[in-house]
Amino acid sequence: MLKIQRQSPVSFAAEAIRTEEREHWNIVLEYEKEGEGPWLADMSHRPRWDVQDGNMASLSVFGNKVPEKPNSCIYCRGTLINRMNAAQASVWHMDGEPQKPAEKAYTDTADAGVFLALAGKQIFSIAEKLTDLDFLNPRQETPFLVQGPFSHVPCQIVVADRGETGESPFPAEKSGLILLSCSRGYAHDMVHAILDAGEEFGIRAAGEDKILNELRRIFSG
Amino acid sequence: MNRLKNLPTLQIDPEKKISLRYKGKSYEGVQGDTIATLLYANGIRVFARSLKYHRPRGLYSLDGECSNTLMEVDGIPNVRCENTPAREGMNVKAQNVLGSADRDFMAFMDKMSRAMPAGFYYKIFHKPASVWPLVIKRIRKAAGLGKMSPDFDMPGAYDEIYPRADVCVVGGGPAGMCAALAAAEQGLRVILLEARPRLGGSYDYRCTQYHSVSGDRNMPLCQRARELAEQVEAHPCIRVFAHTFLTGVYGGHVLTAFQQGGEADHFTQRYVEIRTESMVAATGCTERPLLFENNEKPGVMQPGCAHRLARTWGLLPGKTAVFSIGHDAGIEAAIDLSDLGMEIPCVADVREDGQDPLLLAELEKRQIPFYRGWAALCAEGGKNLKKVCLSTLNGKHQKNFACDILAAAAGLSPLTGPLTLAGAGLKYDSHSGFFLPEDMPENIHAAGHLLGYEYPPAIESSGTLAGLWAAADCGVSVQNAVREISEEMAALPGPLRGSKFVCGPVSGKKTFICFDEDCTLKNTDQAMAEGFDVPELIKRFTSAGTGPGQGGIPGHNLPLYVALSQASPDSSPRPTTTRSPLTPPYLATYAGSSHDMSKRTPVHDFQAASGGRMERVGVWNRARRFSQNQSPKNKSDDATARREIENVRNNVGMLDASTLGKFRIFGQDALKALQRVYVSDMSRVSEGRMKYSAMCNEDGCVIDDGVVTKCGENDYYLTTSTGRAGMTAEWFRFHSRYEKWDYHIVNLTDAYGVINLAGPSARRVLEKITDADVSHGAFPFSAYREFSVQNVIPVRAMRLGFVGELSYEFHVPSSFMPSLWQILEEAGKEFGIQNFGLEAQSTMRMEKGHVILGSESEQRTTLHDIGLGFLWHRGKPEAKTVGASALAHTEKQKGRLKLVGFKTENPADGVPKDGAPIADDRIRGYVCTCRYSYSLKVTIGMALVEDELAAENTRLGIYTNDGFAGEAMPDSGEYMKYARVVPMPFYDPEGKRMKM
Repeated sequence: MLKIQRQSPVSFAAEAIRTEEREHWNIVLEYEKEGEGPWLADMSHRPRWDVQDGNMASLSVFGNKVPEKPNSCIYCRGTLINRMNAAQASVWHMDGEPQKPAEKAYTDTADAGVFLALAGKQIFSIAEKLTDLDFLNPRQETPFLVQGPFSHVPCQIVVADRGETGESPFPAEKSGLILLSCSRGYAHDMVHAILDAGEEFGIRAAGEDKILNELRRIFSG
Repeated sequence: MNRLKNLPTLQIDPEKKISLRYKGKSYEGVQGDTIATLLYANGIRVFARSLKYHRPRGLYSLDGECSNTLMEVDGIPNVRCENTPAREGMNVKAQNVLGSADRDFMAFMDKMSRAMPAGFYYKIFHKPASVWPLVIKRIRKAAGLGKMSPDFDMPGAYDEIYPRADVCVVGGGPAGMCAALAAAEQGLRVILLEARPRLGGSYDYRCTQYHSVSGDRNMPLCQRARELAEQVEAHPCIRVFAHTFLTGVYGGHVLTAFQQGGEADHFTQRYVEIRTESMVAATGCTERPLLFENNEKPGVMQPGCAHRLARTWGLLPGKTAVFSIGHDAGIEAAIDLSDLGMEIPCVADVREDGQDPLLLAELEKRQIPFYRGWAALCAEGGKNLKKVCLSTLNGKHQKNFACDILAAAAGLSPLTGPLTLAGAGLKYDSHSGFFLPEDMPENIHAAGHLLGYEYPPAIESSGTLAGLWAAADCGVSVQNAVREISEEMAALPGPLRGSKFVCGPVSGKKTFICFDEDCTLKNTDQAMAEGFDVPELIKRFTSAGTGPGQGGIPGHNLPLYVALSQASPDSSPRPTTTRSPLTPPYLATYAGSSHDMSKRTPVHDFQAASGGRMERVGVWNRARRFSQNQSPKNKSDDATARREIENVRNNVGMLDASTLGKFRIFGQDALKALQRVYVSDMSRVSEGRMKYSAMCNEDGCVIDDGVVTKCGENDYYLTTSTGRAGMTAEWFRFHSRYEKWDYHIVNLTDAYGVINLAGPSARRVLEKITDADVSHGAFPFSAYREFSVQNVIPVRAMRLGFVGELSYEFHVPSSFMPSLWQILEEAGKEFGIQNFGLEAQSTMRMEKGHVILGSESEQRTTLHDIGLGFLWHRGKPEAKTVGASALAHTEKQKGRLKLVGFKTENPADGVPKDGAPIADDRIRGYVCTCRYSYSLKVTIGMALVEDELAAENTRLGIYTNDGFAGEAMPDSGEYMKYARVVPMPFYDPEGKRMKM
C-alpha cells in the first residue's frame, strides 16, 4: 500500500543529510553544504491559520492578544501572530508543539501557501532584486508584517530580524531573517526567482534547524 | 596615439591593455577607455554615418547626447560607444553604411537633400497611396540606424533592482554630492545617481583653483571633487549608483534608471526602480551646440568633449583647435588644452562682454587671440576638418583658420529632464538664457549648475540647501541649518548671465539643429513656412529631437531659434516636451531577469510525467491533453483528445481540477452575503447537498458560476471558476461595503487540490479507497460528503456531473493531493483509469450542453442569454441581489445574442474553429465552441447568435478561411460551412448517466 505523505510544493536540488517524519511530512532538518548564508529554507510544513473576527481585540490566540496595529507582529512561545487588517490576522506556528484551535474564527491555511524563510547575510540585497517593499524602513521595529508583491506575487512577509553588520541602513550591510508566504501554486516559480536572485550572493538551501536556531536567537530575549 | 601622463584627472590605467576588433583589425586601448575613446586613440575619426544623408559623424559630446557614435557591438546595434566601457575582445562595427564608415557608398544621399525637405514623406508619397508601401521599403533600407534580426539572442545578463530611499539625488557633481551629504547627515537613507562612471561632475576633469567661502581651502577643482566623492562614498547613509542613467520620474516618488555593469558586476545592464520620499535634481548643464554650416563634421566637438578627452583619457583631440564658444568653461578648456600641448590659434566668443577677466588674462598670457562677438560660420574639409571660417555675429567680417579641431558651443543648456518628468513647468529665463523650472512639485528640488550657478561655492551651497529641503520633506527639522545656508548663499554670486546666441548668418542648408535626424535649420524654416508655429509642432514635422539622443542636441536650440525667427510680439521661447526614457536602455534591461510567475497544481509533475501537454491558462499551468504515445520514435499527439474522451465515456478518467476557486465564508451574516452576490435563493443551501448557482454583475451579465454547500452553522464552502478565483473575495466585500454584516471570507483555492473522477466505473474506484458508503443511495447526485481515505486523507467529496458521466470531485488538502492521485491511479488500474485534460473535458461538457463562462459568454451576455435564467430566484428583493434589476429588464429584450446548440450539415466539411463568425449578408453571431463528437459521431457546437436565429432547425452559415471544405464563396479563397440549430444537451439529454 502506498505510504501516505504530505508533500511540500518546494524541492531543492541540495542533498538532505538529516530528515524527520512529522505528521506525514518528511521534513529536512539540514542539507549538505549549507555554507555561511544566505539561506533559503522551506517551512511549508509549519501549521498556519487565518483568523478573522469582527472583534479582534477580544480574541486570544493561544493565550496571546492579537497585535493592535495592522502590520505589527508578536512572537510568543513559538508562534508568530501577524495583524493584517482590522478584522484579520495570520498565525504562523514556528517552533515547539503546535496547538489545534477549535474556534470558528480560525481557518487552517497551512496548505494554502508556500512558506519560505530567507536568512543570513545579504538577504535584503536579494529581496530588493525582487520587490520594492521597504524591509529596512528604520521607522518600523522588527518583527513587522509587510503585505505586497514579491517577485510580482502577492505575499505576506514578516521581517523577523535585520541584524546590522555595519552602520549603513542599506541592504549590503544587513543580515536578518524574512519569512514569506504566498499562494502555494507559485512555489516553484517563487523558489526559482529567489535562488536566481540570490545566486550572486551564494544562496544555499537550508533545513528547518537553521531557521529555528535563528528564531531562537532572535527572540531569546 | 600617445597618451598624456601623470595628470591627476586621468581615469585610465595605461599599464592594463585591452583590445577590440573593428573593421577586421585589432585596436589596442587601455583600462578605463570607452569604445569611442579607444577608437579615437587609434586614429578613428569617423564612427558612423547619419540617418538620412549618410554624412560622416565623429566624436562630439562623450556623454551620448547624439547618435554620432552609435555602433554595433558584439551584434547589439545602437550601442552608445561614448559611454560604454571597452572590453577585451569586443567586436565593433559601423552601422547604416554601405561599405565602411570612412567609405560609404550611400554618401551620395547628402547631395540629394534638396529632394528631401521637411515632411517630404508626409507630402510627396501621400497620393497615390499605393506608392507608399513600395517607397517606404526603399527609404527604410537607405536610412536608419542599427539593424537587428527578430530572432537575435541578446548576449549579457540583465537584472533589476528596486531600492528604497528617503532622498534620491540625481547627479553626482558638486551640488549633488553636497545635497546627498546634507540629507545623509540627518540620518536619512540617500541614493545618489551618477551617469558617469565616477562622481565629480564638472569638477572632475578641471584643474582650475577652488577657493572655499572662508578662503582657507584652496585646491584644484578635480581635487575638491575627489574630496567630496570620498566623503560621499564613506558616508554610511549614502548609496552611490555610478554609471547609472535616469530614465523616468513618476509622480515624484518613483524614479527609474538603468545601470551599466562593470567588470565585477553580475549584470550587463540592470533596471533600477527607486521609491523615495524626496528628489533632488543636480544634473548640471551640457553645452548648447553652436549652429553653423557643417557643424557636425568629424573634428567639430563640444569644448567639454575636447577637454575631457585630454584630462580624463589622456588624449589630445588633435593638433590645432579653434574655439568658438559662448561660456567661460570654453575659455577654460582652451587655456588648459593649450597648456597640455595643443595649438590654439584663437578663441572666438559670441559674447561681447561678461567673461571672467582672470580667464582673459590667462589667454593673453599665452598669446591666444580672443575675438569678442565672433562665432564659427562654417567648418570645411572632406571627412575631416581642415579649416574653419569665423565671423562677426552680423557676418560683416570673416577670417579663416586652419585646424583639425573646432571646439564649439553657443553656451550652456541645463539638464532639466528629471524636473519636467516630475511635473515641473519650464519657463524661459532671460538672464541665464535657460529654461528654468517654475511651480516645482512637492518634494522635488533643484540645485547647482542647472540653476545657472557657476561659482563653485555657490554650486555647493545650493546643493546643501536642496539636500536640507529634501530632509525636511522626510519630516526632519532643519530650519536652523536652512537659515544658515540661505544666508551664506545670499552673499555668494548668483546665476551668471548666459549666452542666448544660436547661429550667425548661415544659409542653414547644412547647419544641423538635430544630428540624429539630419534636421537642418533650413528644414526648420520650411516647417515654419508650412505654418507650424510652435516648437512642439515643428519637432513633429521635422522630427528634430525624436532620435536616440532624446532631444539632447536640439532641445534648447530649437525653441530659441523658432522664437528668434518669428515676427511675433510674443517672442518668449517655449520648450518642447521631455519624455521618458531620458536615456534609452536596452529592451533586454526592461525585460530584466524574466521570472515568469505562474502557478502549478500539486500534481503538476505527475501530469507532465504522464505526457500531459502543460499550457498556461490564466495564472495556472494546466494539462491540455495527454500525448497518446510516449515512445520517442512515435510521439503522436491527438489534438482532439479522442482516447481520453472515449475512456471517460466507457471506463473512468481522472482530471486535475485544482485550479477551481474555493472559499470558506462564515459568520452570522454569511447567508446575507451569499444572497447578495448569487442569483439563486441561497437560503436553500443545506448541509450534505450542493447548490449550483451563478453570479451576475450589475448589468445582469453572468460573471461566474459554481457550487455552494453548507458545512456548519453560518459556515459555507463554495467554488468559483478558475478565472474568477482571484476576484471573488473582493466581489463579496465590494457588494456588502455599506452593510455592517458580520461575515468573513477565506480564499482556499490553493489550500485544496481537486480531482475529478468521472466515468461509469468511477464509483467502483471510489469504493476501493474508502470505507464510507458511497452507493447511489448514500451518496446521490448533487450530494456533498466528507470522509477519509485510509483514515488519513480528509476528503470533501461532491457528486457532480460536468462531463455528463457519473462523476465525483474530491477536494483534499493540497499536501495530500499527490498521495490521493497515486492511490486513485492504483485503485483505478483494473478499470482502465487514465488522465484526461482540459480538451477532453471541454468536449464532453459541450456534448452535455454545459457552459464554460468565457467560452460561451462574453462581457454582454446575461444569465438568460445562455439559458441559465432558471437559476434566478425572483422572490428575493431586487435591490438585494446584484444584477437582479437588469435581469428583469433584459429577460425579454429583443436583439440579444442567444446561446444555441448546432449540428453541422456535412461532417466532411470539417470542424469550424472556435470564434468563427456566423453570417449571412452580415455577421449574425459566432461559434463559441465546436468539436467533432466521438460519442455522437457528428460535429456539434454552441454559438451565440442573434435571437431571430435561435429557433430550432434554423440554418446557420459559418464563415471560415481554414482551408477545409465547404461551399466556396465567389471570388475568394473563403468558404461557408452550414449547420442547423438543434436542442441541447446533445449527449444523454435525460441525464441518466450522471445520475446512475
